[in-house]
Amino acid sequence: MKVTLISIPVRDQEKAIKFYTEILGFIIKKDKPLEGGNRWITLVSPEWQDGPELLLEPGPNHFEPCKVYQNALMEAGIPYTQFNVENVDTEYEKLTKLGVEFSIKPSKMGTWKYAVFNDTCGNNIELVEDL
Amino acid sequence: MQENEIMTSYEREINRINNIIYSNKEQIETVIGVRNYIDNNYDSDLNLDLLSHLRFISKFHLLRLFKKHYGQTPRQYLIDKRIEKSKEHLKNGMSITETCFAVGFESLGSFSTLFKTKTGKSPSEFQNEQLSRSKL
Repeated sequence: MKVTLISIPVRDQEKAIKFYTEILGFIIKKDKPLEGGNRWITLVSPEWQDGPELLLEPGPNHFEPCKVYQNALMEAGIPYTQFNVENVDTEYEKLTKLGVEFSIKPSKMGTWKYAVFNDTCGNNIELVEDL
Repeated sequence: MQENEIMTSYEREINRINNIIYSNKEQIETVIGVRNYIDNNYDSDLNLDLLSHLRFISKFHLLRLFKKHYGQTPRQYLIDKRIEKSKEHLKNGMSITETCFAVGFESLGSFSTLFKTKTGKSPSEFQNEQLSRSKL
């Protein structure tokens, strides 16, 4: 068994593609049509294209508990997904300029530095830098 | 630090936990220092004796602290670092023997075995795959 994919729930796949590619810089690896206008869309990091794929999953639109859970996480400010970066401060500066809203500015916790932003698709995302 | 009224409950919880488990700043500085040292010297002959002397602590204490904060031992961390760096060298076309020594391994046999265990491919399989990919 191998771990090759993680999924992230999004309300609007088209909007999610724009945010994750144009703002965060991921690139599309797979994009195929499914039933009812839904698509199977996965993204990868430009610098790690054979790494794990990120699935933009329209779960909240089709399964109510998913929406409820996503709302509760958002309200509490809890990031369910995290991405590793070389430098949290640099990413913070870059993303803030692009209009991304952070609920936690770069902060230290033990042996890492982290920050949390809103992905505009219903999720808090945590950026992590190992110190 | 942000104003209390705009802090999310996640941030409050993180700060609470931070104050409990990461209160010993000196300990944190020690393990971060060791990790940085490994990052900058992974290609040399590193061992626990050397690392513990650098930070003036006993090697068993260092082993325990590093594992506590990074979830793996210094040796496991070092091996992962060397494998990660060796992948870069192989991608750039460096020979397998050169790569082995460039990242600090002392025998080709142990490098090849570890590489295969960690990546699922032998160094030559990995390199051939990378080089043929770049030709497409």
